[in-house]
Amino acid sequence: VPSAIVKKLYAATHKAVEDPQTNEAMTKVGAEPLTSTAAEFAALPQIVADRHLDLDFSRVVHGSQTYAFRRALLEGEELAIRARIESIRIRAGNGFVTIAMDLEDPDGVVVCTARSQMIERAAVA
Amino acid sequence: VRARAAVSVGHELPELARVVTREDVKAYADAGGDENPLHQDDAFARSAGFPGIIAHGMFTMGHMAAAVVAWAGEPDAVLAISAQFRAPVFMGETIVAGGRVRSVEDRPAIAVVETWVKLERNGRTEWPVKKGEARVRLA
Repeated sequence: VPSAIVKKLYAATHKAVEDPQTNEAMTKVGAEPLTSTAAEFAALPQIVADRHLDLDFSRVVHGSQTYAFRRALLEGEELAIRARIESIRIRAGNGFVTIAMDLEDPDGVVVCTARSQMIERAAVA
Repeated sequence: VRARAAVSVGHELPELARVVTREDVKAYADAGGDENPLHQDDAFARSAGFPGIIAHGMFTMGHMAAAVVAWAGEPDAVLAISAQFRAPVFMGETIVAGGRVRSVEDRPAIAVVETWVKLERNGRTEWPVKKGEARVRLA
């Protein structure tokens, strides 16, 4: 959870939150839910590039996303990502892949579980 | 953190509106690490069937999370959050995040909030996020 990315994400997604109290609270805690995204994207290319999965990333869109936190992520802490493919199904030429990622602290405790459903849209004829 | 006694089913969260710009989407791509050309290259986006680049689903979800965090009072009061991405968001459009308390649990006190992100396009309401949900810890 690199500080630089936390700051960039504040800038990119929280400019709209003008309430100084809220901003102060966020800064104090030093973490906000979606900072896990950068870490996940570090792992995602390995998964989508898996030749057994045979995904065409140019046709992939994000279908849904969930996060469940056991605790807030802290700025500067190191987390390991354990990713697994939870389900794969094909419907009408579209592929649906659900990828679950556990974010673990150095003691191996899962602090957050993220689930992404990626959709590989059917190739245009 | 919001007080349990002050939260009841049907309570609406304040709406949060934002104009989506190319600069913001680029900043999000750089911060999050998702450099998919669908979000940066108009020609590529057109080849994928869109009129131009679209915002990341996660950008829109981040905006929705901002609305939930603002209501929750503390970012770590948001215990879980989810979204289904249903419609693309184009540059220059105004996304509006909102939510409503669906149920309240006790011991521990948690508000289950249904959330969404909508926008107006050509006189129609589109739903970039439909069926979002957040679990928010109450005091």
